[in-house]
Amino acid sequence: MNKTVLVGLCAVTLSAFATLAQAETIRIANHGQAGINAMKSTVARIEKKYGVTVEVVEYPSPDKDYMTKLLTELGAGNAPDIFSAPTTAYVADMVAAGYLAPIGAEFKAWDGYASFYDVAKQLAVSPDGETYVMPFMLGIQEIYFRRDVLEKAGISTEQPKDWSDLLKRAAEIKEKTGAYGLLFPAGVSWGTGAFDEGFQHLLVGSKTPQLATEDGKLDLTGEGVKDVFGVYKELIDKDLMPTQPLLGPEPWVIPKYQMFPEGKLAATTCGSWCYIFDWGRESKNPIPDVEKAVGTWTIPGQAGGQYVLANLAAPWGVNAKAENLELAKKVLMEIGSVETQVSYAAEIGNIPASKAAAQDQAFQKLTELVPIHAAAENGVYLKQAAGFATVAEGVARATEALLRKETDAAGAQTILVDYAREILGDDAVK
Amino acid sequence: MVRSTYEKRVARQLLLILSPSLLLLIAFVIYPAVYSVYLSFTNEALTGAAALNPRFVGLRNYSRLLHDAKFWNSLLVTFLFVVGSAIIGQFVLGLISAILLRRNLAFKQLFSSIILLPNAAPEVVAGFMWISMLAGGENATLSRIVMFFGMTPTDWLQTFPLTMIIVVNTWRGIATAMILLTAGLSTIPKEVFEAARMDGANPSQIFRRITLPLMMPTILLYMLISAVSTIAVFGLVYALTRGGPGGATEVISIYIYNQSFTAFQLGYGAAVAVVALVISLVLGIAYVRAMKVQV
Repeated sequence: MNKTVLVGLCAVTLSAFATLAQAETIRIANHGQAGINAMKSTVARIEKKYGVTVEVVEYPSPDKDYMTKLLTELGAGNAPDIFSAPTTAYVADMVAAGYLAPIGAEFKAWDGYASFYDVAKQLAVSPDGETYVMPFMLGIQEIYFRRDVLEKAGISTEQPKDWSDLLKRAAEIKEKTGAYGLLFPAGVSWGTGAFDEGFQHLLVGSKTPQLATEDGKLDLTGEGVKDVFGVYKELIDKDLMPTQPLLGPEPWVIPKYQMFPEGKLAATTCGSWCYIFDWGRESKNPIPDVEKAVGTWTIPGQAGGQYVLANLAAPWGVNAKAENLELAKKVLMEIGSVETQVSYAAEIGNIPASKAAAQDQAFQKLTELVPIHAAAENGVYLKQAAGFATVAEGVARATEALLRKETDAAGAQTILVDYAREILGDDAVK
Repeated sequence: MVRSTYEKRVARQLLLILSPSLLLLIAFVIYPAVYSVYLSFTNEALTGAAALNPRFVGLRNYSRLLHDAKFWNSLLVTFLFVVGSAIIGQFVLGLISAILLRRNLAFKQLFSSIILLPNAAPEVVAGFMWISMLAGGENATLSRIVMFFGMTPTDWLQTFPLTMIIVVNTWRGIATAMILLTAGLSTIPKEVFEAARMDGANPSQIFRRITLPLMMPTILLYMLISAVSTIAVFGLVYALTRGGPGGATEVISIYIYNQSFTAFQLGYGAAVAVVALVISLVLGIAYVRAMKVQV
C-alpha cells in the first residue's frame, strides 16, 4: 500500500515538473489600468491558443516613467518579450539601439495585414525599410472647440481655412468671450505631448512639412519649423492660450479638465479619446451633450488645406533578445487582431488601425470614434527617423522658453536645433 | 620588524571580520562610482545608435558641460537650495529648537514630537502632501490662509518655486539639525554658563562668546552632513516640481536624472554626477579641514 502511494506521488511530482518545463512563459509589458484591462481577453486567447503562460508585467503609468524603466531594462537585457512604445517617436531610436526584432515578413504574411490602413503600415516602417512594430492603433488629433460658447458669442464655427484664420478666430474668441482662444500643448512638463499633440500637427501643414531627409538625417532648420514656433509665439504673446498651468507638473489638468469644461478655454487640440474620457461619458467633469456642445476642426495648413495627422498609438514590438522569438512574434500578431484593437479603442479611445474594425459590432457601439476611424483613410504622417524622441524633447524645451517669454520663434528654433545637435551629434542633424 | 604569529593571526581575523563590509562597499559604492567615471568618458545612451555601440569620447562630455547653460543653472539652483534650506533654514530653526528644548518649557515633549514628525513621512509622501497645501486655486491650504487675511491666492509652486522647495526641505530637515545641535549643546558644562552669568554676561553675550564657540565642532559637522545630503535631495523636489517651472528648481540631482533618464544620455548624465561628487568631496574636505579633526 505504502509503495503504491509512494510511486503515485512520484508520478504526480514528475508529471508536474514535466508540465512546468513545457509551459513557456511570455512576458508582456503593459502600463496603465486601462491598457491592462484592454488586454485581458487577448491574454486569455493567447494562453489558450498557444498553450503558454502570459505574464503581464505592470509598469509605471506616465509615459516618461514607463519609457525610463523599459529602456533601462532593455539596456540591461532583462526586459519583457513584448512591449509597446507610447508613440511613433520612440521607435526609430529603439530600432537603432537594437532592442526590436524585425517583424516585416511575419506581418506581411499575416491574415490581418491587408486590412490595415496604409498610413498605419507606412508609419510602422523604420528608416531602414524594415518593419519592427505592430501598428495596431492610431492616434488621431484634431482641434476640439466649444461650439456652444462660440455660437452664443456669435463667432463662426466654420472650419478655419489656414493658420491666419485660426489665429484670428482665437483672437475673436478672447475678445468676445474672455475665454482663451486656443491651446497647443507646450513645455517640458507635457513630455512628448508638446511634439505629438501640438507641434507636429502644425508642421505637416507648413512650408517644410517633413523633418526626416532622404539620407536619414533630421532637418530642423526649415522655414516651417520657425513658422510653427511663430504660431505658439503669437498665441502666447497675445494671451490667447493659457500659459501658467502649462509650467506646472501636470500641465493638462487645469486647461483640459477644468478650463475647457467651464468654457474658460474655447478650443484645444485633443485626441479621439477626448469625447469619451476627457469630457464625455467616462469623464469626472463631463460636458453635457458633449457631441453637440463640442465640435471639431481639422488642423488647417499654413496656406490652406486640411490635415489629419495620424500617429501610432502604443505600437507593439518584440524584444530582439526574447527567448523564443518565433512564439513572441505569433503573440504579437494576436495583439494586432481587430478584437484587441476594438478592446483598446473602448478602454483608451484611440482609433483601430484596421479598416475591418468598421464592420465590428462592438466598435460600432463606440459612436464617437466611428467617424474619426473613417477619416484615417486620408491620414498624413511624418516620416520617421532616428532622433525623433530627442526632437520631441527639444520641442518641449523650445516651447517652454516661449511660454516663459524668454525667446522668439527664431530663438525657439535655435534651442531645438542646438539641443538635437548636442544630443545626437552634428552628423545626425542637418 | 618581524611581526609575531599572534599579530599576524589578529590581522587575518580583522581582515576576515571586515571583509563582508569591504565587499559590500566595493560592490555598491566604489564600483558604481568608478563605473560612473568611466561612463562619463563615453557617449553611452539608453536609446539610439549609442546604446548599441557606445564609444569613448574623451573629455567631450565635460567640455559640453562648460557650455551648457542648464548645467550652470542647476549648480546655481543647488547652491541657493543648500544655502537656503540647509545652511540657513534648518540650521537656524534647529538651533532655536535645541536651545528652547533645554529650557523647562510647558508641552516640551509635544513640541519635540512635532519637530520630529516630518521625518516620519517618506520623502515622496511629504512632497505630495505639500503639493496639496501649495497648489493653485482657492481650496489649497496656503491659499485659504492668505485669503483669510484678504490677500490674493496664487499657485505657490509656480510663483515662488525655489522658495517653496526651500521651505519644504527646511521643514523636513529641522529634526536632524535639532537632534545634532541638542547633542552639541549638552556637551557644554552648565558651570560655564553659571560662571558667565555670575560675571554679568547677558544672554546675547553668553550665546556669542560661549555657546557658539563651544558648539563649533558640532555645527561644522552638521553643516557637512546637511550640505552633502541636501545636494543629494531628489525625491522631494521631483515630487513637488520635477525641476520646473522652466528649470527654476532643477537642482543638480534632478538635472542628472533628466539627462540620464529623460534625455537617455547616460554618458553625459554620468559626467554631471561626477562633477556633483567632486563638489561634495571638496565640501567635505573643506569642512574637515575647518574642524581640524580626523573623521
